[in-house]
Amino acid sequence: VAKLCVCDLLVAQCDVNCCCDPDCSAADFSLFTTCSVPIVTGDSRLCSQKAAIYSLDVEANPPERIFKLIDQVNPSLFCIHATNYKEALSFGSPQMPTSENFDQLLKEFEGATFSTEPDGWNINTDAQSPSDANETYRYEYGVPIQTVDAFLRLPSPVVSSWCSDGNPAGFLVNQATKCTRSVRVETCGNIQAVSMLFYINSSILVVSKVNITVQSIVVQSLNGMWTSLNSSDVLRLPMILDELCINIVLGVSYHITYTDAGEIIEAAASFVLGAINKEALSIQQSFEISFTQVNTKPVPLSGNPGYVVGLPVRAGFRPQGYPFPVEILFNTNKYGQLTILQSTSNQDCLAAQGARTPVLFGYNMVSGCKLRITAAVKCQPLTQTLLDLLKGQTFPEYVASFGNSRAQDVLDWVPITHFQTSEQRIYNTFQTSCQIPISLEIEVKWTKYGSLVNPQARIVNVTATITTTTLKQLPSGRERTIPVTSSVVFTDISSPAEPGYKAWPTISVKLPFDFFFPFV
Amino acid sequence: NSSYQLSSVPLQILFYINGIYYIFYFLATLAMIVYKSEVFSYPDDFLAPDLALLFIMAILEVLRLYLGSKGNLTEEEAPLGLSLVMTVGSVILSVYFLVWQTYVLKADVVLNALLLFTYGLESVLKVGAIAAFVS
Repeated sequence: VAKLCVCDLLVAQCDVNCCCDPDCSAADFSLFTTCSVPIVTGDSRLCSQKAAIYSLDVEANPPERIFKLIDQVNPSLFCIHATNYKEALSFGSPQMPTSENFDQLLKEFEGATFSTEPDGWNINTDAQSPSDANETYRYEYGVPIQTVDAFLRLPSPVVSSWCSDGNPAGFLVNQATKCTRSVRVETCGNIQAVSMLFYINSSILVVSKVNITVQSIVVQSLNGMWTSLNSSDVLRLPMILDELCINIVLGVSYHITYTDAGEIIEAAASFVLGAINKEALSIQQSFEISFTQVNTKPVPLSGNPGYVVGLPVRAGFRPQGYPFPVEILFNTNKYGQLTILQSTSNQDCLAAQGARTPVLFGYNMVSGCKLRITAAVKCQPLTQTLLDLLKGQTFPEYVASFGNSRAQDVLDWVPITHFQTSEQRIYNTFQTSCQIPISLEIEVKWTKYGSLVNPQARIVNVTATITTTTLKQLPSGRERTIPVTSSVVFTDISSPAEPGYKAWPTISVKLPFDFFFPFV
Repeated sequence: NSSYQLSSVPLQILFYINGIYYIFYFLATLAMIVYKSEVFSYPDDFLAPDLALLFIMAILEVLRLYLGSKGNLTEEEAPLGLSLVMTVGSVILSVYFLVWQTYVLKADVVLNALLLFTYGLESVLKVGAIAAFVS
């Protein structure tokens, strides 16, 4: 015990304030302020043990260190008087693993971290070793789709525009890529990536090995004309014909059908085959993959759930005549649901009949045109023409509040409220003067919905305001051009976020009812 | 009247006290073994013999006290002699718990010292009683 010193860290040097350091001389001790280690003892549970006590006598001048070796007595009744077990009071040195005791040590100490196989695998393989195909491959969003040899590949450009075959297709990730591949007529039969076989050879590994079926083949001729082939189960491999190489894969479009449990049940590929001539050095290939849930029609979403900026606002109609609205009908073309007038280059309203541009969420738009009217124009047909121009043929009644609102959830759809204002402040008592609509302003009020870290955009209110102006009678022979404008404005009306904190836990201290029993 | 009675009253009193003390000793030693196994590192190889010997000692003690008491009261020297022999075994076991146990705490020392002292006194009185019965 007298030789042990915990604070002696520096070899052959005096540690500061370390009274047990043998490298310190009396002169060093006189500079210390305290002793960092006042006592060094053995195991304090022993009944009697040796203890080395170090202290500084600060009253003496210069201060000096006092070293005492005493027997410390543990007064407890349960102090250890003696032991007959050698390793009782010290750390045992662990067994060195050798080739003989390695297995026994491994079994004893493995636990979950060092075992060669996780416990979960053992249970599974024991139960399902008869049939290997019982394992179902359930996919989650983004997980690469596995095939027999590797992953379902979707060649895409990496760094440059040349195709790289290493891009795996992720589950439920709709992708469309275009890349360039170098191919020549002479070697077109050898390059795997331009032959159909390369893309349908790998079968997706699911419960029963879903094979990729060929859905359709379209042949593109040298001048760009597309012909659809009737028989799509014939495998067409690249071959050299005359001086061309035909049946080169120019585009593949995968359509994967999945269930809502995450299993892939069907996979189909549509090909575009083309031909190259002698001068061609490279071709551009385009690849696409899309996922459809089984038994559903693919409904284009504009966000999930909140609207994504740039995606079209979804809108539809409620069918008339039903007492209880069952669902909202909308145009399957997602870009045709809510549209505004599209400006044309010559700004003539009547010339560009029917040109509409879709309203994209978050993009404020203004468009307009000029309408030329003559004196011979009548009020009512003009009003109707202008309304058609502004609102389009089918102006919807309801707008989806979320990007993924389903047609069946009628309450998720916000009705469009219509307002009509007049340009003139002064009201004519003569209501017979013609009021023609000249501007449509759609204001979409949206709010942030959900959590603070991942707010979702939700449309709360949509108003369509038609501004009318009085059509002044023109003297005959004169003409006038009136500007017609339409605009869409998105306003964020979200209230500031309220942080929600959990309540502090309170200490509930209540005496029992009959605590003061004899006295109460 | 006491001259016809050869049974030793002090011995009987000592048997009685010994019985009560031994119950306390047994429970205390068992509790301390449990305490030691929780606080110290007490591998099974060392715990098993200690527990086994404690239970053997308990059985031995019951037999010993019964025989001794019976022999003293019926004034027969045979059971008393057998009890004396068994005392030797008990002494050895007590010495084990005093010296050769895996962990000997101060409380162990006290308990076993008292037990040994009782045994010693008992043995002396037993020898005297046997001498009285034989003659």
